[in-house]
Amino acid sequence: MRNLATVYWRALVQRKRLLGTVFLWTFFLWITTPFMIIMLKSVGRNWFGRKWLPPNLTLDWYRWAVTVANIPRILANTLIIAAIAVTISTLIALPTGWALGRRKVRGKELLTSIILLPRMIPPIAYALGVAQIFYRLHLVDKYLGVGLAHVAICAPYATLVLSSTFQALDDRVLEASAVCGANQLRTFFHVTLPMVLPGILSSIIFTFTTSYNELTLTLMTYGPHTITLPVRTYLAVGEGYWEVTSAMSMILVIPSFFVLFMIQREIAPEKLVGGFKGV
Amino acid sequence: MSDAPSRRQNLITLLLLSPGLAGFFGLFFYPMLVTLERSLHPEGQTQGWTLENYAVLFRDSDFSRVILLTFFLAISSTLLSIALSVPLALLLRRKPAGHRLLRMTVLVPITVPGLIGAFGLLLFWGSRGWFNLSMMPLLGRTEPIQVNYTLVGLVIFYVWHYFSYTATTTLSTLEGLDPAIEEAATVAGATPSQVLRHVVIPLIMPGILSGSVLSFMAAFGAFSIPLVTGGSLRPLAVSIYKQIEVFTPARWSAASAMAAVMATLQVIFLAIYMRVLRRPTA
Repeated sequence: MRNLATVYWRALVQRKRLLGTVFLWTFFLWITTPFMIIMLKSVGRNWFGRKWLPPNLTLDWYRWAVTVANIPRILANTLIIAAIAVTISTLIALPTGWALGRRKVRGKELLTSIILLPRMIPPIAYALGVAQIFYRLHLVDKYLGVGLAHVAICAPYATLVLSSTFQALDDRVLEASAVCGANQLRTFFHVTLPMVLPGILSSIIFTFTTSYNELTLTLMTYGPHTITLPVRTYLAVGEGYWEVTSAMSMILVIPSFFVLFMIQREIAPEKLVGGFKGV
Repeated sequence: MSDAPSRRQNLITLLLLSPGLAGFFGLFFYPMLVTLERSLHPEGQTQGWTLENYAVLFRDSDFSRVILLTFFLAISSTLLSIALSVPLALLLRRKPAGHRLLRMTVLVPITVPGLIGAFGLLLFWGSRGWFNLSMMPLLGRTEPIQVNYTLVGLVIFYVWHYFSYTATTTLSTLEGLDPAIEEAATVAGATPSQVLRHVVIPLIMPGILSGSVLSFMAAFGAFSIPLVTGGSLRPLAVSIYKQIEVFTPARWSAASAMAAVMATLQVIFLAIYMRVLRRPTA
């Protein structure tokens, strides 16, 4: 009698585990299948009707994306704009992050949340204002203009990352360097800089990806000369050539997967959620 | 004499903070003011003051439908995100096979541009996508199930994109939990389900709450997902953009009035979030 109960109990436990496993991998498929389909769509030929997989493979859609949709030029635009946004954001975030992370600031918490506000308010709300200001300043459809618009969401994020990097600097190490007779310059180059460099690098990578992916602010400030990859992809979805759109999406998604890989290895993901929002 | 150096220190601090503040005021605060100012001008003009733009919004039944849709999508996707995140976090905590990959999967939707996610979802749930390919023979249907551009579809896509916030905070709160507490409850004679209901869930509630407010706020401001997958269903952010994109000349004042309403609501949610975050745990 007792044996039977144990058997049943074991079976139940095992089924429960099975249930959990099924749940987890259904979840996995639910999240990842859209990307698998995009990937297949971008290399599939004659994939019409009710077929699970494309019957033939081709690289034609990538060729089309390059020749017809002019992707190299658009990619260059995107990279130039991202470089501008990253440079300005880093220049803003270095001193501001240092002050927030290392110095006594009155009302630090309030100040930090004010600086992070642009990441919490939907960009469309201030993109309207940015567009109107930039029209007046003739910054619309200029690399600098679009890059500057991206700074609105990139700078808060860079500041967040850098201030926590600087905060984590150990005073004792700096003191030790001074005790050992290094002057301030030497301490800076041989102790401080190597310690904060990974933080600065990850800030650059994150701001780069944010700018590279940004759609809302670009839609309000772009023009024929400053079409970026997300805008082109958005337009292509509307045009309906979904094979070529898939090829574009594959190019657009590369930095994000790189970042994803990095987050998983280097940083605790929960720290990112507060500030990181890919709208 | 004694406060001279500290005043100098304060000045240096202010100087260091100034680029960040300049960026904030130049690229966020001033644009918000411009938006607010524009919303108070008559349509198509840059002079004269009026509240007509807001009056139109509140008279207009379209706008109340937009607000209703936005709230419905944000609330329903948040609730479903919680329903998904809690079991997910409980399962992931046990570190099953492949949990590293699954953890990375949780972050995919907020790291990858929403645009691509939306496009992939359209392909997957479309009439010839894998969803219909597997469901049609299963349910014995000859007509594909329409998911794209419907309300149900939008809710699914919202959950897909915005559950990450809830899941990540829930998981991190759960992992911060001391296993000794659960052991104590088990030793005291509680069954696993009792431990879950009376010990674990109440303890991780702050994490679930703060994560779901984040999900809610993100879903409320959703742009790319409904822009691509919404069709004629246009929540607030998309409606604002359509005022500029669809109409010639663009309806800046109407768009600005909507944006002002949206920003106000979002600030209120943010205040709630700060409250939730600050509430002492336990």
